Amino acid sequence: MRKVFALTMAALMTTTIFAGCAGAKSAAPSETGKPATEEAKEESKPAESKKGVTLTFGSHQSGLPTTGIVQSLAKEFEAETGNKIDFQISPDAQWRDLIKVKLNSGEAPDIFCVDADPLSLNSRISPADNVLPVTNEEFVQRMDPNVLPSISYNKEVYGITFPGKKMYYYIYNKDIFKELNLTVPTNYEEFKKVCQTIKDAGITPIYEATQNGWHQVLPLFESGPMYAKKHEGLYDKMNKNEANLDDIPELLTIIKQLKEFADLGYYGDNFLSNTFENAKAAFANKEAAMVMAETGWAFEVIADFPEMKLEQMGIFVMPWGDNQIVGVNPASNAYFINKKSENADVALEFFKFLARPENLQKRLDGQPGILDVCWPEVPSRYPADFKTYIDGLEKGTVMQAAVSYVDSQWMEVGKDLEDMYVGAITPEQLVKIIADRRDEQALLQKDPAWAK
Amino acid sequence: MNVKKTYPWYFALGAIIIYFILCFLPGVVGLFYSLTDWNAYSKEVNYIGFKNYLDIFKGNSQYGTFIWNTLTFTLVTTILKTVVGLGMALLLTNKLIKLSSFHRMVVFSPQVMSYLVVGLVFKSLLHPSTGFVNNFLAGVGLEFMKRNWLTDLHLAFNTVMTVDTWKGAGYIMVIMIAALQSISPTYYEAAGIDGASYWHKFRYITFPLLKPIIINATILNVTYGLRVFDMVYALTNGGPGNATGVINTAVYKEFSRGNYAMGTTLSSVLFIFVLAILYFIIKAMENKEVDA
Repeated sequence: MRKVFALTMAALMTTTIFAGCAGAKSAAPSETGKPATEEAKEESKPAESKKGVTLTFGSHQSGLPTTGIVQSLAKEFEAETGNKIDFQISPDAQWRDLIKVKLNSGEAPDIFCVDADPLSLNSRISPADNVLPVTNEEFVQRMDPNVLPSISYNKEVYGITFPGKKMYYYIYNKDIFKELNLTVPTNYEEFKKVCQTIKDAGITPIYEATQNGWHQVLPLFESGPMYAKKHEGLYDKMNKNEANLDDIPELLTIIKQLKEFADLGYYGDNFLSNTFENAKAAFANKEAAMVMAETGWAFEVIADFPEMKLEQMGIFVMPWGDNQIVGVNPASNAYFINKKSENADVALEFFKFLARPENLQKRLDGQPGILDVCWPEVPSRYPADFKTYIDGLEKGTVMQAAVSYVDSQWMEVGKDLEDMYVGAITPEQLVKIIADRRDEQALLQKDPAWAK
Repeated sequence: MNVKKTYPWYFALGAIIIYFILCFLPGVVGLFYSLTDWNAYSKEVNYIGFKNYLDIFKGNSQYGTFIWNTLTFTLVTTILKTVVGLGMALLLTNKLIKLSSFHRMVVFSPQVMSYLVVGLVFKSLLHPSTGFVNNFLAGVGLEFMKRNWLTDLHLAFNTVMTVDTWKGAGYIMVIMIAALQSISPTYYEAAGIDGASYWHKFRYITFPLLKPIIINATILNVTYGLRVFDMVYALTNGGPGNATGVINTAVYKEFSRGNYAMGTTLSSVLFIFVLAILYFIIKAMENKEVDA
């Protein structure tokens, strides 16, 4: 009798525990394929806008202007609608992995910012599964059509983006160049001589921000137009799997040059600990003479260090591998709405708010680091000096925006470069690693060009 | 068979079923997925045999470094935490030390801090140009000892292990203190009468009676060491380059790449390592247990 009672109790206890588990699963997919809670929410959605909602907004450091203009606009949105935005900012070096893990585990924020380009969007965030499409929204029609491919997948537009096209240059301190009788270098040998002279004067020639993970990678792929010019149809061949990164001798040359610069001390002693956020101070305080950045960065320096004047700053094309063509990248970071969010409708309201003409202007005015936005209705503000120089340059599309499986491994290449700088791998090994990684990603995604 | 036992075996049934479903089954399912090409880009899951395992162990893959780093981390931090924890416990149970409870609290306090906070704080302290450590060394005339603590290929991993020991030794100390306090003082009195020195008392009384606790602490340290992730991630993110990467940072990387099968394979390798190592430790514990 005791035995029967004990067995019954044991069975009951187990059942109770599992009944609890079942209760917790109320959000499991229903017959329609949608989580039951989502369906219920859709049904019970009030006609008027929601109030008192707190939206989570996940981003990497570079995804939000350091001036806090997006946060200011969010405050205005809160005052107007009663809905709050909670910004969750992660380090650049971790965000790409983090957002993927969050999306894959169903824990992504309501709105998230990621770097978007036409070739990597799917591998980065699987928009069809994770993102609310905004194709039919009015604001999409007002964005520059050139940026739409970066935020679209399978003919659906998924996000909203603001920065204009990106072009990276070396921004240099004209005062230092003048004091040392230096002229702007146009090839690698000249570049080396300039750096040696600056180093001899006790100044770090180049501020390299390795900690962020992305900055050191720029010379490799922003020089893409030069590779494409030297090897006809290169981008196309690479996308058809008829050529890979290890077929580009100039890429290896540039990587070797980067290593040589590190070994010669042109990046300074502690460049592996440098962050891009500290570049402005180093540049304004004349601790470093050159920084690889977009032209708008000069204005960020002025905003933070008003003693610096625009006349003290100049730009020149990165002369790695004797390159003289500037790479243009139509892609930039963009904001997306988590499809599975309970408050996707409020997030969309926020997008519409940001896209209002007056708020677009506020955004441009509040972010000295960008000189234009990808909204033709807002006029750009390139200074005449820079404009004249840029207009006279030959231009081409950067490799990461035109060749598949390049941008998706950007941060990993940043780590590979660190490996090379500390002597763990050679430049030749590095090229092989990144070429193999392209193949690996293509095979993983069952790219038809790799199936042959 | 013990006929006087109070409870029948099936009272443990609920726990066994829960353990089986929530702990054991996922491990086995993970082993199954490691034999497939499961990834984020395709709904299909195909059986591919041991390809993922071969990729991990073949010639020049980075995974070898990650496995080596994990084992090194486990071995070094286990030894360091045990030695430091035991040393601190001996010191702070000594009656000559004043305010011992306060000192114990101070040594234990890093344990209650989150790994992320510790990682970020130390990242700042160890910054080569603006960090406290290098500036302090320069300030006291030890300029020659300044180092790139987190970015020097030969130092970074040692730094990570040191910080982890700093954080974890307090916990081991608390366990050791509890064990030390449970040893009857009569042993020491008797040994003292026989003229035993401090070292002899430690060697022939304290250490043998602490053995079961040391083995338990070792199990805790080994299982933590093999599964380490947060400390490495917060301090170096596996850098410089991939020099301080461990199995779990690689698992994280593979999941973020969408290569779930490889992430699962690495987890399975870890699972097997943990099981194998624990088996030997528990065997050792069974053989060498000493009754206090």
